[in-house]
Amino acid sequence: MTRTVVAEVPERPPPKRYGWAGSLLVPAASALFVFVALVQALHVAGVVSFGFANWRPVVCAYLAWGVALCVGQVLRRGEDGVRVLFIMPAVLFTVAMVIFPTLFGLTIAMTDWNLSSTAGRQFNGLDNFRQMLGDAYYWNALQNMVIYSALVLVEYTVAFGLALLLNQQIRARKLFRVVFLLPLMLSPVAVSWMIGKSMLEYRFGPVANLMRWVGWDNPAFFANPWTARLTIEVMDAWTFIPFMMVVLLAGLQALPKDVMEAAEVDGASRWQTFWGVTFPLMLPVSITAIVLRIIFKLKLADIIINVTAGGPGGATDSVTSFIFREYRDRSNVGYGTMLAFVYLILIILFVTGLLKLLNRWTRDVT
Amino acid sequence: MHMETHERLLKLTANRRGVMRGATAGLGAAALAAPGLLSALSSSAFAQGGLRAEILKIPGVGVGSPTDADWQKVGELCLGPTKALVQQGEFAGVELTFMGLNNQNLHNFLFRGFLKPWEAYTGAKINWIDLAQADYNARLQQSIATGTVDFDIIEMGAPFEGDVCGRGLASEMPDWVKQMIEMDDYVGYLKAPVGTWGGKTYRISIDGDCHTFNYRTDVFADAGLAQAWKDEGHQGEWMVPITWQKVQEVSKFLKGKSLNGQPLYGYLDPLKGWGGFGFYFLESRATAYAKHPDDKAWLFDPDTMKPRVNNPAFVRAIQDVLDILAAQPNDQLNADPGTTGFQQFLAGTGSMLSWWGDIGSNARTSDSSVVGDVVGFSILPGSDDVYNAKTGQWDTLASGPNFAPNMAYIGWGVYVMARVDADAKLQKAAWSAAAHLGGKDISLWMAAYPSGFQPYRNSHFDIPEWTGAGYDEAYITDYLASEADSYNHPNTAIEPRIPGIFQYYSVAEDELAKIYAGQFDAQSGADNIAAAWEKITDQIGRESQIALYKASLGL
Repeated sequence: MTRTVVAEVPERPPPKRYGWAGSLLVPAASALFVFVALVQALHVAGVVSFGFANWRPVVCAYLAWGVALCVGQVLRRGEDGVRVLFIMPAVLFTVAMVIFPTLFGLTIAMTDWNLSSTAGRQFNGLDNFRQMLGDAYYWNALQNMVIYSALVLVEYTVAFGLALLLNQQIRARKLFRVVFLLPLMLSPVAVSWMIGKSMLEYRFGPVANLMRWVGWDNPAFFANPWTARLTIEVMDAWTFIPFMMVVLLAGLQALPKDVMEAAEVDGASRWQTFWGVTFPLMLPVSITAIVLRIIFKLKLADIIINVTAGGPGGATDSVTSFIFREYRDRSNVGYGTMLAFVYLILIILFVTGLLKLLNRWTRDVT
Repeated sequence: MHMETHERLLKLTANRRGVMRGATAGLGAAALAAPGLLSALSSSAFAQGGLRAEILKIPGVGVGSPTDADWQKVGELCLGPTKALVQQGEFAGVELTFMGLNNQNLHNFLFRGFLKPWEAYTGAKINWIDLAQADYNARLQQSIATGTVDFDIIEMGAPFEGDVCGRGLASEMPDWVKQMIEMDDYVGYLKAPVGTWGGKTYRISIDGDCHTFNYRTDVFADAGLAQAWKDEGHQGEWMVPITWQKVQEVSKFLKGKSLNGQPLYGYLDPLKGWGGFGFYFLESRATAYAKHPDDKAWLFDPDTMKPRVNNPAFVRAIQDVLDILAAQPNDQLNADPGTTGFQQFLAGTGSMLSWWGDIGSNARTSDSSVVGDVVGFSILPGSDDVYNAKTGQWDTLASGPNFAPNMAYIGWGVYVMARVDADAKLQKAAWSAAAHLGGKDISLWMAAYPSGFQPYRNSHFDIPEWTGAGYDEAYITDYLASEADSYNHPNTAIEPRIPGIFQYYSVAEDELAKIYAGQFDAQSGADNIAAAWEKITDQIGRESQIALYKASLGL
């Protein structure tokens, strides 16, 4: 029987004597913040003639309100208030940098806002969403994302193979680990130019010349839809397979040795050991690697923008590269934001569903 | 005087294209002659001749790329007009912000060097906002839309005048600047209405853009090909095509043929988008079909903004591209204009190409060019017939083929923002800096050396000045004549300077890519472009677009 040690809970200190000040400070700062924000909003909307030249005073008011909130907690709640200080700044930062921009983005997504329009931003409800439903480019890009995401399984297979290889006692193992990691250290933009626009270049690219040498008469990597799509996939895979490989390698190194030795003692072949022991034990790590990789994959844009601009005929377009064009080249801010929001929701739904499915499957297998 | 000038032009460019240009563009020749181009300019520039000759020797053609020290030297030597109007140290304490490009064609790098002596003399300080070309449009539009114009001077293309000048964001040019930069020297098409909005002048031109026709002289001088052309029963002599109909025929003829062991290709179409800039290349094919001499408009109906991009003229141009797809290099679908111009044509692939003046200025100066000795220049090809949007009929002109050079982008300019107007000292400083960059003499240096800009003043076409700098006379004569003939042509297709023009081009690129990939036929794809353009027009505001489009056309 083990003896349970219960830590003594210190007695809560009584509220400080400046609690009244805290009770005044927070409402006063809140009122100031609301007042400044309201004045500026009305000024920008043209309702009132007075206001500030820009939104900087509102940001300052928010900061002041945040400080007042923190100080008020301490004044009113003493030690408990001090504890709140450990998390309050992070909460305020998240509100300012994540929650507010998200909500603000949502309002933009419901506007007709073309930067060239003299009318400026106009609320248009769900018109952008309805336009999206009929936008062949968006659906084409989504379809491409399904293909790109599905190919993550191929990347996973390659990464697992490499991880298994590097987990063996082979010569120059450390060197290989570093070498295999190099692509991950490269910016996708650099990969686009070095590989997509130089090595794969039809006229002088060394890879194109090699292909000619092995008998491919027309090594045009980006002229045919499927060839282009696969070439983009290969470049992206080359960059990110090392990431999956590292994650899987870490998982392999953490596997319990005794289970492997038991399998060996029982006379299991290497293949049986892999399928019966290694693979099931690696499933949680594998799922983590695959899900993270899919999340990376769903952001695929830079290589496409640089190498094919989505072509030929939209064959390589990703949702992000399409949104980029809609935003940057067409200044269509409202519609572009709606596309991004819908994509965000789709990603959240997809990843959540995927995790649930995989968890259930993992439970069944293990 | 006119005939004399014309004769000299013909003598200098005494070839088939020169005669053709003179015959078909009589008005153009007259316009060319009117300001006393070529020989007449020698005398007009006499007073400044010494200075001009001196700066053109910095560093000298063929002795390597100019450096920052060279730019500063040129800037220093060209300070004369500034010194005449500004006291030394007059702008002490003034800080200006200049927004421009930082791309490889130099732009801001060059301006920094040119303005350094100006800063030293006037006492002003310039802060720089450097933008990649791809980010330029987005940055500018965001500044305008969010009311955060944080620059005093901007390097900007005329297509954006609708966005900037149309909204009252630019400062009107003072008269003393007009005198200082000698605006009368601009080639015809850069004069009003370009650079103006609502009758006010805003722009200091530092560039003059147009697409010209670049071709391989060795291909069209080859006896073997001439014989093959004859043997295959083609009409006419083997020569550089002067109409798009012939361009098509020649491109198909060259498929499968070779020269000096290298496979030959005909006309190169950049088929991949380029942030909207790729649409210019379809325009260059279409203008001869779509720009009727009796109609200033060619891209939209000026009364309704109804797109003309799906009319028979543009559809024919798109179909032309499709008809020679198989005759183009195998990876052409993934070739954007940059690739087509610099990695293909300059590297020896392809026989014909439409591009801005950069091809000519790079052909002999770029290390990657192999066509320096075998490249010729002309205005864009014409067409045997031209579509009349008003009657819906194809017209055959009594004067012969219809030529319509594409004034693609209308060149870069320097604009001063209205935010300086509240402070007289600041305003004078900003305009002084801008005028220094747009000065007559400094502009000659920019036209002659790598700068990102091409000739745009009548005084830039004085051949002896160029030969004095080290250029080959025949080469530079041919090159400059193609530019001058384009600028001064009576039927130029001028770009609409309306807000959001690159949105129209960008969406067109996407639809064209689908057509080229075989997903739509020419008419359906063009209809898709037109539908997308209608949406953009409605989004930006149809009535205001109509008004601005008419204003930009001078209607």
